[in-house]
Amino acid sequence: MILIGEDLNVMSKEISRAMKERDPEPIRRCVVEQTRNGMDYLDLNVGPVAKDPGETMEWLVKTVQEFTDLPLCLDTTNPVAMESGLKVCKKKALINSASGATESKETMLPLVPKYSAGVVLSVINDAGLPSDADERASSILDSAAFANELGIPNEDIWIDPVLLPVGVDQRQVVAYLEFIQMIPDLAPGAKSICGLSNLSYGAPRELRGLLNHTFLVMTGRYGQHSAIVNGFDKELIRINRGEMPEIVNLVYRAMDEDDMDIFSLTQKELEYVKTTQVLKGKTLYSHSWLEV
Amino acid sequence: MVKYEPPLEKYSVNIREAIVGEGEKAIKIGGENTFPFHFFEGSLPNPPGLALEILDIQPENWAQWVLEPFQDVTFDPVRWAEKCVEVFGAEILCLRLLSTDPMGRDTSPREAARITKKLADSIDVPLIVWGTGTEEKDSQVLIEVARVCSGKNLLLGPVLKGNYGQIAKAALEYGHALVAQASMDVNLTKELNIALCKFFPAERIVIDTTASALGYGLEYTFSIIESIKQFALMDRDTMMQMPILADFGGDCWRTKEAKESKEQGIFWEAITGLTFLLAGANLLILRHPDALRLIKEMIS
Amino acid sequence: MALKGAEIIKRLPKTNCKECGYPTCFAFAMKLATGGAKLEDCPYLPPEVRAELEAAMAPPIKLVTIGTGDNALVIGEEEVMFRHEKSFFHETGIAILISDKESESDIEERIKGIKELHLERIGQKLKINLLALFFESGEKAKFEALVKKAHETTNFALILISEDTDVLFSGASLCADRKPLVYPITKENVSSAIPKLKELGTPAGVKGESIEEIVSLTSNLKDTGVEEIVLDPGSKNIREAVRDQTLIRRAALKKGFRPLGYPTISFPCFMYHDRFKEALAAATLTTKYAGIVVVSQVDKHFLSPLLVHRFNIYSDPRRPMTVEEKVYEISNPNEYSPILITTNYALDFFIVSGAIEEANIPAYLCIKDTGGIGVMAAWTSGKFNGEAIADFFKKYGVGDKVKHRKLIIPGVAKKLKGELEEELPDWEIIFGPLEASDIPRFLSEEWKQ
Repeated sequence: MILIGEDLNVMSKEISRAMKERDPEPIRRCVVEQTRNGMDYLDLNVGPVAKDPGETMEWLVKTVQEFTDLPLCLDTTNPVAMESGLKVCKKKALINSASGATESKETMLPLVPKYSAGVVLSVINDAGLPSDADERASSILDSAAFANELGIPNEDIWIDPVLLPVGVDQRQVVAYLEFIQMIPDLAPGAKSICGLSNLSYGAPRELRGLLNHTFLVMTGRYGQHSAIVNGFDKELIRINRGEMPEIVNLVYRAMDEDDMDIFSLTQKELEYVKTTQVLKGKTLYSHSWLEV
Repeated sequence: MVKYEPPLEKYSVNIREAIVGEGEKAIKIGGENTFPFHFFEGSLPNPPGLALEILDIQPENWAQWVLEPFQDVTFDPVRWAEKCVEVFGAEILCLRLLSTDPMGRDTSPREAARITKKLADSIDVPLIVWGTGTEEKDSQVLIEVARVCSGKNLLLGPVLKGNYGQIAKAALEYGHALVAQASMDVNLTKELNIALCKFFPAERIVIDTTASALGYGLEYTFSIIESIKQFALMDRDTMMQMPILADFGGDCWRTKEAKESKEQGIFWEAITGLTFLLAGANLLILRHPDALRLIKEMIS
Repeated sequence: MALKGAEIIKRLPKTNCKECGYPTCFAFAMKLATGGAKLEDCPYLPPEVRAELEAAMAPPIKLVTIGTGDNALVIGEEEVMFRHEKSFFHETGIAILISDKESESDIEERIKGIKELHLERIGQKLKINLLALFFESGEKAKFEALVKKAHETTNFALILISEDTDVLFSGASLCADRKPLVYPITKENVSSAIPKLKELGTPAGVKGESIEEIVSLTSNLKDTGVEEIVLDPGSKNIREAVRDQTLIRRAALKKGFRPLGYPTISFPCFMYHDRFKEALAAATLTTKYAGIVVVSQVDKHFLSPLLVHRFNIYSDPRRPMTVEEKVYEISNPNEYSPILITTNYALDFFIVSGAIEEANIPAYLCIKDTGGIGVMAAWTSGKFNGEAIADFFKKYGVGDKVKHRKLIIPGVAKKLKGELEEELPDWEIIFGPLEASDIPRFLSEEWKQ
C-alpha cells in the first residue's frame, strides 16, 4: 500500500510555530525522518490557514522540497492556500481534499486538471456523511461523474470513504470495509485512500497502533490503494513491507472466522485476533476490548 | 395462498437478574430472554421496577403539582418514604442525597449515612441511594452509606468511571448492588462494566445510560437503551446483559410543558417512562405517584 | 429500497455497456438500490428479469396515501425494526375520533379545537393528520351529515368507520375526492366491498381478529387489484398491540412476506376509556410501528405530549437535530441581562434554554450555526472558534443589545476563552459551568447586577 506520512501537521505545536515563524529546522527534521522511514508521499496539513494562506503554503512546499524528493499531498480546505502550493510543487501533487459537497467540488476540482494533480475525493456530499456502504457508492458515483466531466480521469481520483473513530461509530467502520470492496466495480481505475489514524482517535494511546495496524491489513486485503499514516510507526511500516506475514495471515483468518485454537496463540497474536473481531463489527468496541 | 408462519425470534441468552433489597420485599429486575413486552416469544419473569424518589432536603423549584402529593412530608425524608410506600404503593424507593452536594449544603458522609440508615430501617421495601454525581464526594458518601447500611443490599449510584473502584469495593464488602453510569454511549457503558466485572459480580450491576425527558432528548436515551438490549440479546455481549435503569423524573418536571399543567406534567413523565420501558429499561425512577400508578396499570 | 446493490447486480447483464449512463453495471445496481436510477434505463434487461427485479425491489412495506394535496398522510415504506438501525421514515398519523352521535355543536367544537391546535418545535409544525368519522348513531343521515361537514369545513385527511357497509360506502362516495380510508373491511364484507373500493379508488382499512385472518383478506384484495391497504390486527391492549405490530413488521421486513407488507392502524380510543391510558397506548403504538393511531381527545394537554413524542421517535438518528441560528431572547431580557452562547445542536439549545428558564433570570442565548455538532467538535472544525463567534457578534449586533461586556461560554471550551479575548478585546469572557444542570445556580450566583 502507498503510505503517506501525516506528521507535518499544524496540530503539532512545534510545526505550527515553525510555520508561523518560517523556521525551517523543525520542518526539516520531520521531513527527513519520514522520508527515511520509507513514506511514499508526505502530507502537508496546514489546516484552514486564516492568515496569509497563499504565502504560508508556498513557503512550506518550497521548504519541504529542499529536504525530500517525495511527492506531496497538500492538505487544506483553503483554496487560495491550495493553489499557491500547487504552483510550486515539483512533482505531481495530490490535492487533499475535495468532497461531493457543492462548494468543495466546485472550488477544488477545477484545480486538478489545471495543475495535473491527483485529488482525494471523499464520499461526503451536501447531505453530510452517507450512513452505509450503498449510500457511499451512490454519492461517489455522482462526484466521480462530476470530476470526469471536468476532464479528470478515474486514475487521478483517490476515493476517500471517510473513516470514523471506532469508538465513535463502529457501524461506520464496518460500512467502510464493505464499501472499499466495491470501488473497482464502481469507478474502474480509481484509487482509494484512508486517513488511518482517525480510526483510533480517542482510544488509549498505547493501543492506537494495534487498531491502525490491524485495519491496514484488513483494508489491504480488500485492495485499498493508499493510507495517510503516522510516519513514525515502525511496526506499521514493517507490516506494509511484508515483513510480518504471520500477523497478516492471522488477521486474514480472523476475518474469515476460521476456527482457531486461541490457547495456542501468543499474547500479541491474540490481540490481533480480538482487534480484527472488533473492526469487522463482531464484538462491540470498548477501550478495554482486549480485556474480554 | 401463501401460508403465514409467525416470525418468532428466540435469543438463547438472558439478561442478568439483579436483586435489590433483602427479605420478602426484595425485588428482582431483569432476567428476560427477549425484548420488552415480547411475551409471545420469550419469557420476562420480572415486571419492571418502578421507584418513587425522595430527597433528603426540602425540594426547591418543584412544580406545584408534583409537590402536592408530598407537601405534608417533605420536611422529613423518613415520613416522605413512609408515605410513598403506604399511600402510593411504591415497591421500591430512591433516596437522593442532595444535601451532600459540595457546591450546596455539603453535609458530611456520616450525616448522609445516618439519614439513609434511619430511612432504610423505617421501611421494608428496597432502597436505591443516589449521590450527586460528584465523583469525589459521592465516593466518600456512598462508601459510608454502604458501611452503615451493611447487609441491606441497597442499590448505590451513580458509580462513574472516575470513582467506581472504591465504591465497588465497599459495596462488595457490605453486600450492596451498584448502578454503573456512562452517559449516552454504548462503548463507554461496556468499558465501565468490564472494569467493574474484574472484581465485582456482574449480577449486582445495573446500567444507567443517563436519561432525558420527552421533547428534550428522549429519542437519544430510547435508542441507546434499545441498542444495549440488542447487543445483549442478539450479539450476546455478556458485558451488556445487565438490567437497565432510567432516571428522568427530575428532567420531566423541569420542562416548561410539565410546569404548565398538572395533567400535562403527568402525561410528560408517564409517556417518557413507558417509552423507556418499550426500549428495554428494567427499572424506572419516577417523581409523581400518578405517573407510577398509570405505568403500573398499563403494563400489568 | 428492499434489495441491496450487491443482490441486484447478480441479475444485470454485466456487460458494462454504459448505455444507462453509469460507468459499470455495478454502479447502475448501486444507483438502483439507493433509488437514483430506474430499471428501464437498462436497454438489455429481458422483460421477465425486469419484472422479477421490479417485484423484488418493491419496498417490503407498501407506501399508502390517505387524503390529497398538502394534507395527505403518507405512511409505510419503513425499513427497520429499530430506529437506530437507520431511521423511521413516515410519521405515525394521529387521527381524532368524531362520532356522529355527538351533537352538532359538540362536533363543531371538536373540529374547531383540532384546527386551532398549533404546536411548533425547532421550526417544525407538529400537527394532527386525520379525522376519524365514526358511525355510531344508527342513522345513516347523521353519518352523511358528519362526512359532509368534515369534507366541507376542513382539509384533514379522513377515515370513515362503520360496521354497516352500506353506510360506509355511501359516506365514502360523498368524499371520494378526498381519498378517505374506509374501515373496516372484514371477512364478512370483503366481497361486497371490493367493487366499491375499486370504483371509488379509496384505500382499505382491513380488520381481522388475528393476523392469519388479515393475511387471507389482503391476499384476496390484492388479487382483485386493491393494493392501498392499511392493517388492523384488532389488538385489545398494549401488550397485544406490541405483539401484533412487531410480528407484522417483522414478517414484512425480515421474511419479505407480502400479504403483511402494509402500514397499520390502531385504536387507542377503543382500547382504554381512561384518557391517561389512552394517551399512553397511543405513545406505545407510535413507538411500536403503528402507521395511524386514532384517539378520542382534542385538548392541548392530551395531544401536545403525543405530538412531541412522535416528533422524537421519528427524528432521523443519522442527522443531528438543529435549531435556527439567531440570538434567542429568553423571558424578555433587557440591556443588563446576561449573554450566553452555544451551538445549534438542538439538544444543546434545549438544555441550555431550559436551564435559563429554570433559573428565572432573563437572558440572551446566542445560537451559532455549527451544522448541529456539539461544542468541542465544532471548535475543532472551526465552526465555533474565536473568529467564527466574533463574526456572529458582528452579524447579529450582539454588542448593541446590552450595556455590559460579559459573555458566558460553554465550560468545556477551554481554548475558546483565549481566542475570544483576542477577537473580542472589549469583552470579558466567562466560563459557564461544565454541566448545564448547574446553569441555574451559576446564573443566580454569578449574575449580580
